[in-house]
Amino acid sequence: MKKSRITALAISILTASSAVLSTGCSINNSREGKTVVKMLQYKPEAVAAFEEIEKRFNETHDDIVLQISSPNEAMIVLKTRLIKEDYPDIVGIGGDIDYSNFLDAGLFMDLSDFEGTEDIKPSYMQIEKDLEFIPQDGIYALPYAANCAGILYNKDMFEENGWEIPETWTEFIALCETIKSSGRQPLYFGFKDIWTTLAPWNALAVGLADADICSQVNAGKTTFTEGYAEVADKIKLLLDYAEPNPYAYSYNDACTAFARGESAMFVIGSYAVPQILSVEPDMNIDSFTFPANENESDNVLNSGIDLQFSVMKECENKEAAYEVLKFLYEDETIQIYLDNQNAVPCKKGDFKLPSMLDGMKPYIEADRMSDFHDHYYPREMCAEALIQTYLMDKNDNSAEVFLNRFDKEWARYNRDLIEKVKKYEEGLK
Amino acid sequence: MKSNRKIRKPISNKTKTLLLMLLPALLLFVLFNTIPLITGAFYSFTNYRGYGSYDFVGFRNFSDLFRDIRVGKSYLFTFKYAIAGTILVNVISLLLAMGLNSKIKFKSTLRGMYFLPNILGGLVVGYIFSFIFTYIIPTAAKALNIDFLSNSILASERWAWVGVLIVGVWQTVAMNTIIYISGLQTIPADIYEASAIDGAGKWCTFKKLTLPLLLPFISTNLILSTKNMLMVFDQIISLTKGGPAQSTESISYLIYRNGMEGGQFGFQSANAVVFFILIVTISVVQLVITSKKEEQL
Amino acid sequence: MSSEKSFVSKAPDIRIKPAKEIKKDKDGKSKILLTIVLILGCITILFPLYMTVIIALKSPSEMTNDITGALSFPKILSLENFAEAMRVTNFWHSLGNSLLITGSAIVISLAVHSMAGYAIGRSMAKHKGFKFIYFYIVSGMFVPFAILMMPLVKETAVMQIDNMFGVILLYVVFYMPMNVMLYSGYLKNIPLAMEEAAEMDGASTWKTYWKIIFPMMKPMHATVAVLTALGTWNDVMTPLVIMSGSDKTTLPLAQLNFQTQFGTNYNLAFASYLLALIPILIFYIICQKQIIGGIANGAVKG
Repeated sequence: MKKSRITALAISILTASSAVLSTGCSINNSREGKTVVKMLQYKPEAVAAFEEIEKRFNETHDDIVLQISSPNEAMIVLKTRLIKEDYPDIVGIGGDIDYSNFLDAGLFMDLSDFEGTEDIKPSYMQIEKDLEFIPQDGIYALPYAANCAGILYNKDMFEENGWEIPETWTEFIALCETIKSSGRQPLYFGFKDIWTTLAPWNALAVGLADADICSQVNAGKTTFTEGYAEVADKIKLLLDYAEPNPYAYSYNDACTAFARGESAMFVIGSYAVPQILSVEPDMNIDSFTFPANENESDNVLNSGIDLQFSVMKECENKEAAYEVLKFLYEDETIQIYLDNQNAVPCKKGDFKLPSMLDGMKPYIEADRMSDFHDHYYPREMCAEALIQTYLMDKNDNSAEVFLNRFDKEWARYNRDLIEKVKKYEEGLK
Repeated sequence: MKSNRKIRKPISNKTKTLLLMLLPALLLFVLFNTIPLITGAFYSFTNYRGYGSYDFVGFRNFSDLFRDIRVGKSYLFTFKYAIAGTILVNVISLLLAMGLNSKIKFKSTLRGMYFLPNILGGLVVGYIFSFIFTYIIPTAAKALNIDFLSNSILASERWAWVGVLIVGVWQTVAMNTIIYISGLQTIPADIYEASAIDGAGKWCTFKKLTLPLLLPFISTNLILSTKNMLMVFDQIISLTKGGPAQSTESISYLIYRNGMEGGQFGFQSANAVVFFILIVTISVVQLVITSKKEEQL
Repeated sequence: MSSEKSFVSKAPDIRIKPAKEIKKDKDGKSKILLTIVLILGCITILFPLYMTVIIALKSPSEMTNDITGALSFPKILSLENFAEAMRVTNFWHSLGNSLLITGSAIVISLAVHSMAGYAIGRSMAKHKGFKFIYFYIVSGMFVPFAILMMPLVKETAVMQIDNMFGVILLYVVFYMPMNVMLYSGYLKNIPLAMEEAAEMDGASTWKTYWKIIFPMMKPMHATVAVLTALGTWNDVMTPLVIMSGSDKTTLPLAQLNFQTQFGTNYNLAFASYLLALIPILIFYIICQKQIIGGIANGAVKG
């Protein structure tokens, strides 16, 4: 009797908990006959903007219900949802190697017939094209917002000391020397978080190396030893103007240090501004394009697509998805996002840009921009760790060792891709 | 399975009941451990990215694995870390358990205190210890003229693993202490009284009484701490992210980062399979040795 | 050493007291010394805890890299961060889910794992098959989670348990190797005499287990409960991947809100972590009493 009582208890606990837990997990695909469009976007920091966008859309549309989810760890969530075959209709992700891989896996729908594509800046449409491993017919992603990287500087400190914004590499080094001799520290790095090594790396690479160097290497036309030689030399020179042992300090340390006036400049992207302002809300931050070259006219602003939209192939209601995209690309909607995220729009037109991008504005307006090089690096290669290793290497032949290793690892991690490209090009001939 | 092998002896009712009691656990285990493991092992023969289509690549992932310097380095790091960590954790937690088990003041408070490190989240632990290693220790070392500590050890290619180890041990000790404390409870006080009458010294009592009676718990703890140390992941994420200069990339970190975040799911599955087989071999040897010891007593 | 074992098993009626130091007079000094050492050891815990608390009380604009600044008290003492952290994580809702998941995982683990541990622990020596199953389950401990993750996501989705229930079942499986090991190891120190006596009286194995053995393993139940809770309470990855796509959150999942790729609000995060620490600390203190008090009670009943 006791036995059955305990078994019964155990079973009832199990069933009760499963009953409680499994309710509320079924999502209705249509609410009262309305079409539901499910969207997943990968920037949880923009959740407020997207909640506003969702609200406005649903207020103005009777037949479509838009549901936007902005999960944390969105790329992991997205990948698991792909495994579960629980596809969202629209995804908002970054223009980087993840997109290239998703596209290569055939996940997205061709958006060529979407009317808004002509309004998007050609430089960003080009970046989008460049992200395709194998050139595709059609358009699979629409650039929405971009971020810019280069140098953030302490505007008040610059004005007090009468420092000028440098336009060439020589001027930049001279400025660093001036700042150093005034007893201040020119730069601050947070290389303990290895990804921050990519900020100076990309900023130099866009100015000094070809934008399509990765696909050139894949096609066997050049090597990184050749293409990145100057980038590697120059990034190491920056160490003289930063705090000693920058590998001890994190990104957060660097943001705090810059906010506290411990350095005059910070080689990082516009995305760091909110973190800096959280420490020093009244700080006057401005930015300029990294002057990597001896000729100002050769300099290029490092800007990449931070958010772009794609429609999943599994999406059942293309018209409804297009309706959502149309709404997203209305100027008013874009401005909501820009104000919330200090971002740069990918659409042509007159938008209010955040003030900390003032110094980069001429480049943005002239469309002199090039994508982050690491958007083309496979994540598993961990180029940022290679760069950190190189910066820490005090041997004379460090650059050679590093670039050799870069080429070697590239070939290893891109083996399947290189083969694919080769086959494709043979097919063309 | 059982009945086939023992045809001669019919299974007793007791054995039948015991098998029945084992059944729920076994079912769950097969369903949510063995089956996914086999599925994962299957992917180790493919170039699967985690989504989309994939091709079979035969044993390419495995042959790559043995030639991959980065993977080799991660094995060296992980085993170095695990050996040092297992020894430290067990010595410290055994001492701590005996200390916390004796009749002292503030016992409950102290026990609660030593439990805390294990429940502080990774973000907190990462921030606090980074601050200690980056700012406090170097400042103190400079003031005291200790040269080799005047730079953050987390920024040293040679010593960063020690920093990770300190935090790893600091966090893990709580768990093993709990197990040792519950082990010590099973030792009757009378035995100590008897040995005290015999005039045995403290060390002698410890060696001849406490240690042998604790043996099942020691072997459990050895395995658990070996496992925790070999799977080191959280501390890497919150302290070094594999740096500096890739000197603290653990096997679990590589498998996760490159398999889940990167597109190397197939290759890292192969890595996981090899890692799994390797540890199972080691721990079976460990178990056989300790269970022999137990039987001898 | 065998003399001690037989001493225990022959005389189950002798009251077994928890290990204690005996010579009270002589040990007075070493006790004090021990207490001092243990308290000193606590500094390695109290200091980080102190930092956590003051950071949780400060505002982001009070964050600094210099040591005195970082260790100093906040300018204004306010619990604002805690309130804000509760709002951001939807505290009561997330806490409820976390409690439900951890609680259910513990209850099921205690039932399923103790039975398995008993079956294995009592027959391992006699039957090779049980020994094999023991090694088979324990080896599951060493499977890196990353290799199981994708297949488990698929499996739970197909079985339609990609929800809290699935997460609970997975926890029961994840902690099975450890718990089965603990239970079967603990049984070695529980004398066979009482079971044998009960079976002599004609009680079934099943009945003997639930009436005699299960209550006797109370200290181990408490230990297992604490260790299982430790593993599940702070876990992010399992609910993240299994429950993705549902709007249910747990505390650790909600705490991800404080971290984004390019910025972390340490102040709110630390406040939230401190809040999340309280339930499990209370649980530990309750269980700790069971771990210590248990064995004596069990033996007295026998």
